[in-house]
Amino acid sequence: MDILNNLIFGFGVAFSLENLAYCFAGVALGTLVGVLPGIGPLVTIAMLFPITFHLPAVPAIIMLAGIFYGAQYGGSTTAILVNLPGETASAVTCIDGYQMARQGRAGPALATAALASFFAGCVGTLLIALAGPTLGEWALKFGAAEYTSLMLMALVASAVMTQGDAVKGLAMVALGLLIGVVGVDVNSGMARYSFGIPELVDGVGFTVVAVGLFAVAEIVVNLESKEAREVYTGKVTGLMPTARDLKDAAWPTVRGTAVGACFGVLPGTGPALSSFATYMLEKKIAKDPSRFGRGAIEGVAAPEAANNAAAQTAFIPMLTLGIPASATMAVMLAALTMQGIATGPQVMLDKPDLFWGLIASMWIGNFLLLILNLPLVGVWVKLLTVPYRWLFPSVILFCCIGNYSVSNNPFDVYLCAVIGVLGYVLVKLECEPAPLLLGYVLGPLLEENLRRALLIARGDPTVFFTRPISLAFMVATVLILVVMVVPAARGKRHGT
Amino acid sequence: MKPDLWNNRDFLAGLLFIVLGGLAVALARDYPIGSTMRMGPGYFPTVLGGILFLFGVYVLLRGFRSGEKMKGEWGYRPLALIAFSIVLFGFLLDRVGMIPAIVAMLFAAAAAGREFRLKEVLLLAVVMTAFSAVVFSYGLKLPYPLLPGVWWIS
Amino acid sequence: MQDSHITRLLALTLLVSSAHAALAQAPYPVRPIRFIVGFPPGGTNDILARVLAPKLSENLGQQVVIENRGGANTAIASEMFVRMPPDGYTIIMNAPGHATNPALLKLNFDSINDFAFVTLLAESQNLLVVHPSLPVDSVKALITLSKKRPGEINYGSSGIGATPHLSGELFKYMTGIKWVHVPYKGGGPGLIALLSGEVSLYFGNVPTVIRQARDGKLRALATTGPKRTPAAPDIPTVAESGVPGYEVTTFYGMAAPARTPRAIIDRLNSETVRALNSPEVRERLQGLGADPVGNTPEQYTAFMRNEIAKWGKVIKAAGIKGE
Repeated sequence: MDILNNLIFGFGVAFSLENLAYCFAGVALGTLVGVLPGIGPLVTIAMLFPITFHLPAVPAIIMLAGIFYGAQYGGSTTAILVNLPGETASAVTCIDGYQMARQGRAGPALATAALASFFAGCVGTLLIALAGPTLGEWALKFGAAEYTSLMLMALVASAVMTQGDAVKGLAMVALGLLIGVVGVDVNSGMARYSFGIPELVDGVGFTVVAVGLFAVAEIVVNLESKEAREVYTGKVTGLMPTARDLKDAAWPTVRGTAVGACFGVLPGTGPALSSFATYMLEKKIAKDPSRFGRGAIEGVAAPEAANNAAAQTAFIPMLTLGIPASATMAVMLAALTMQGIATGPQVMLDKPDLFWGLIASMWIGNFLLLILNLPLVGVWVKLLTVPYRWLFPSVILFCCIGNYSVSNNPFDVYLCAVIGVLGYVLVKLECEPAPLLLGYVLGPLLEENLRRALLIARGDPTVFFTRPISLAFMVATVLILVVMVVPAARGKRHGT
Repeated sequence: MKPDLWNNRDFLAGLLFIVLGGLAVALARDYPIGSTMRMGPGYFPTVLGGILFLFGVYVLLRGFRSGEKMKGEWGYRPLALIAFSIVLFGFLLDRVGMIPAIVAMLFAAAAAGREFRLKEVLLLAVVMTAFSAVVFSYGLKLPYPLLPGVWWIS
Repeated sequence: MQDSHITRLLALTLLVSSAHAALAQAPYPVRPIRFIVGFPPGGTNDILARVLAPKLSENLGQQVVIENRGGANTAIASEMFVRMPPDGYTIIMNAPGHATNPALLKLNFDSINDFAFVTLLAESQNLLVVHPSLPVDSVKALITLSKKRPGEINYGSSGIGATPHLSGELFKYMTGIKWVHVPYKGGGPGLIALLSGEVSLYFGNVPTVIRQARDGKLRALATTGPKRTPAAPDIPTVAESGVPGYEVTTFYGMAAPARTPRAIIDRLNSETVRALNSPEVRERLQGLGADPVGNTPEQYTAFMRNEIAKWGKVIKAAGIKGE
């Protein structure tokens, strides 16, 4: 089989000592960078970009790629430990992961995240190998109308995200959408809600929102009462997931991988949308949805699988179309260009050692990440036994540095303090932050694509129903609405 | 009933939504709205602000009717101190350098905790400053001044 | 007791001021230089700076460290930059945004007089490409088709005020045709939209689109610069193809804060030009689609004045509004 031969060839390339070393360096650095909020793979890859001039192409791209998908592994660590998402996509892992940590189950949470990510990484890589160009073509079928209906579907489904009060949950989504509006409007070039402050012209950054809403608010909540409150229960029940855990996490992992692989290819959405989408899916199809938000392992496995699968398939537009879908990919593409390599449909034929070597190294990288992260679980769990009065200032420190590093601007830090206050108020008033984050991530995409679709269709709204993929999403949206409204009309919603 | 309102979650949440939604709509008045098929930059924010406002009214009225008192206390002091420590960090980093910023921030944040043990905080400050200097300035080569005029660029 | 304090203080002051004076005459540079880039990491400007920096560091004998300060198309970086001491230890990368911002935003600094321009680093041009569904194979054919179908053809861009957009607006302005502009968030999504046919034409970055054009996925019509690009000498310029006088180049330049001593500017200029002329940097810049220039501070300043004036006119005529 041709693919098999290619893969064997690829492994031959990837297993050279040099390539292995760079792979390890990449994933290790990626993990570290992923753990820290704000400082992400983009900055790291950009900084290491000149170093690639002195390396041959294959180890260079192996290392840079390792940083990218390694960061997704690291992002979930702080999300689980201290409710601090290190990467956009890890925000969803906070919801259940952090609760698990508080119940003394940080170990199983971390381990499950690593295992789910490993599974997803492997499948994602396999998909690139088997169906790279096909998936690339699929991405091209997504136009503005398709994105709009997809976002609409996701937003309607977001009511599923809320644990408690549905109305407040939807209000949170609306508020998140509004925060997402801040900044320059793509379609008109007009700066909205910027109050004449230049830093707001580019919008409110994800790090600012996520850190303020999740980490900072949570810390204040833990400090608010005068009597000592046990943030993490002293009873740690074990470092590794139980057999039960693994069984529960298995199917969500598979589903998460599927969702992540599909969405990762779409430029502009990527890991974040995938993790939100799988979380909502899992919660909806679970036998007992009320467990979500209270430490359900599915709520960790599925999003982690999704964001890691997405991190792998995100390479497809760059590799098979030659077009970088994000800034991070642009730097990697530039690194390849510097080496005189043009990516595109020909790259598999022109440079098989690069393409298949990269694929093989992604597998190796995922495996290295697993053996890197699993032993670390013990270390992280020990970290939680540190007295809270030492832990929380350190967390705030990382929040501050992380926020500052986004644009090297103190404004982001100040804004984070403001969002932190808002976040605390919202939590006290029983308004959940997760739907807000969802609105914030999806809102701008929805508006941008809705207006663009109407612009291209010259104001004709039937475009959403005449294009097949868009129609499919619209039908799904209606179905979701029906499924949600009908039980509510029949009886009371029991806070699920 | 009256004094309880200020302690009622729904009432306060509703109020917050009304204020934020109202603000959103008010500020969006300056942006051209356009029509439904040709939306201007003001369309979406106005609609959203309106929706938020309406949700706010609903939640407020719900709170009015239930009138139940909120349990738990508000942590004004930790909130203020944590927020202050963050702002302090941002303020000092550019002007005086990473090390003073970290130290000041850690002290302010630690003050928000339930107990403040000076020796521990000092030790924490030293450890975290050293860690940050090594990881961020040396390791990740982030271009932040450590002290006024002192950079660590290798 | 007090006397000796005063004496000590005086001695110290003398020492410090003479040291300062000595330092001012000292060989420049003696410590690392901050190279401010007004975009977040990953954009072409950032990548270009990172290509140049290692060689420049080598030539100057001190590290040139990139510092990203993204926001408002270099306006935020510039605002902070003009307050930096003019000692040659902070330099900034200029981008076309510098020339278009005065017409789009309310700035707190003077785009010409608050800067001491060092040199024009490189220039690149865009390539006008169309989706195969559009039955044209030359600029003339495109103009004819556009006149027959006014307001029907969609052209994409990487954002309002960005070079692809301005390229399109200038084209429309000079030929009198009507296209509908569809902005995207960045070059990646824009090009993908072009490939999928959602928009029919695009003024794209040469290295990225030339591959697709050679593969037949897109049709390349013309380049936007004054001369043909060495990367594709068979493709005519827009000016050659029926729109004489049309010219849009993306420029990348270097500047220091105003009142930086002439000696330092000259040193920066000569070392940067040397770096630009080195084979590795030349090759890498060309790989990015940029042609290295390296002219004198006077030439660059004149160039900048020209660009600001030109874009001011186009932006006004096209009715593009910023804030």
